[in-house]
Amino acid sequence: MLEDNQQIGLFEEKPLTVTEFITRTNARLKTMNARIIGEIGRVDEKNGHRYFSLKDETNGSTLNCIVWRSKYEMFGLNLKEGDKIIAAGRPEIYAASGKLSFICDAIELAGTGALKKAYDALKKKLEAEGLFAPERKRKLPQYPRTIGIITSRQGAVINDFLTNIGKFGFQLELVDTRVEGQLAVGEILAAIRTFRRRKIDVLVIIRGGGSPESLQAFNNEMIVRAIAAFPAPVIAGIGHDKDVPLVQLAADVSVSTPSIAAMQLNASWQKIIQFIGQQEILIIGGYKNELAQTRAKLARHTAILANFHYLLKNITKALDSKMQKMIFFLAAALAAASQKIDYLQNLIASHDPQRPLKLGYCLASVRGKIIKKSAQVAVGDEIILKLSDGKLLSEVKKIEADKI
Amino acid sequence: MPTKKTETSLNDNLKQLAEISDWFSQQKELDIEAGLEKVKLAAALIKASKEKLNTLENEFKEIEKEFGEEPTDTGM
Repeated sequence: MLEDNQQIGLFEEKPLTVTEFITRTNARLKTMNARIIGEIGRVDEKNGHRYFSLKDETNGSTLNCIVWRSKYEMFGLNLKEGDKIIAAGRPEIYAASGKLSFICDAIELAGTGALKKAYDALKKKLEAEGLFAPERKRKLPQYPRTIGIITSRQGAVINDFLTNIGKFGFQLELVDTRVEGQLAVGEILAAIRTFRRRKIDVLVIIRGGGSPESLQAFNNEMIVRAIAAFPAPVIAGIGHDKDVPLVQLAADVSVSTPSIAAMQLNASWQKIIQFIGQQEILIIGGYKNELAQTRAKLARHTAILANFHYLLKNITKALDSKMQKMIFFLAAALAAASQKIDYLQNLIASHDPQRPLKLGYCLASVRGKIIKKSAQVAVGDEIILKLSDGKLLSEVKKIEADKI
Repeated sequence: MPTKKTETSLNDNLKQLAEISDWFSQQKELDIEAGLEKVKLAAALIKASKEKLNTLENEFKEIEKEFGEEPTDTGM
């Protein structure tokens, strides 16, 4: 029901044309975005566009729906009568026919069973084409610099990633996209196209965990193909249910969390920094060690000088010692010689024939021979008595021999 | 004939010093006069080597200081 001040043309002087009325009505209808669940009735195709009715299962209410070709191809669904879907969009009146239709911006299968069926079918198809083959997986560049990130600016995911990426001079560029529901498909595709035009080393596409319905965009065929064909290696970290999102299978590197995605990127940088640190220790430390060893060698050679000085001192000492010994022996020899001389002198002195004469003895001789026995002389012989200071001429008057 | 002054490297000096050390250790009866000549040469080599080593150590300390001042964070 229109508010009083919104009543169109009711009180205007000039009535609106049909076109004007439809235009004004469509302007209001544009604000009525909605998500509607229903069962598909008949599906008609014209020029690639899909025209179908969406029926309320409870009471049969029907809404005419249109999915334009570009959107239909993007969502990759094969709509058939009886499929239960959720359509997101807004109503619009087609001026030519006056018919009200619901223009779908996004369509998705409703119900886990249907989603699983579609997932399995697409997975089989893409697997057969080799999109998930291990030999297709590219290695991440060794020292990536420019990183493109597709995720929502809101939420914990980007914060986790940025917290763990580290400071290695990365040039990060984020394209903010929805990551939930089918409306995310268009934004993600646009983001991939944006990064294709840039020269980046690695593309990262991440989101947190969620229900299978919320992850549907990451099972979209166009997105999966765009990831598989991306010119640079792709890291995908889509929180998943037991069915791995197909984007993750198509990516070159599949990780379970945004922090692991970040660590994949900085691993080589961490290693090189560690390596440089080790080389610094080896080279700087090694050189320092060499300098110390050279100084020690020099110190050992300096000992030559000290040793020679010591040698000279020893030689001098030895010479002094020899001199001392020689003097000692010489002195001893002199003393001994002196002693001997004294002894001999005394000996000679003691054997001096003059010595008894001085003591009052005399030396008697007869006919030139020393008288030693009384038998050598007879009475009347002339004997000479030698005294210490002269001689006495004597005659033997009487001989008295000692009795033995 | 003018003498050619050549600057020997630290390694060459250490090599000569090692040779002098070996000579002394090999002498059974040391010739004092020859020994003195060796000692004079050793003293000159040691002096030159110490000067060279001091220069190298000072230059190295500058490099070490630069490494100590460099930030570990490469920045983003």
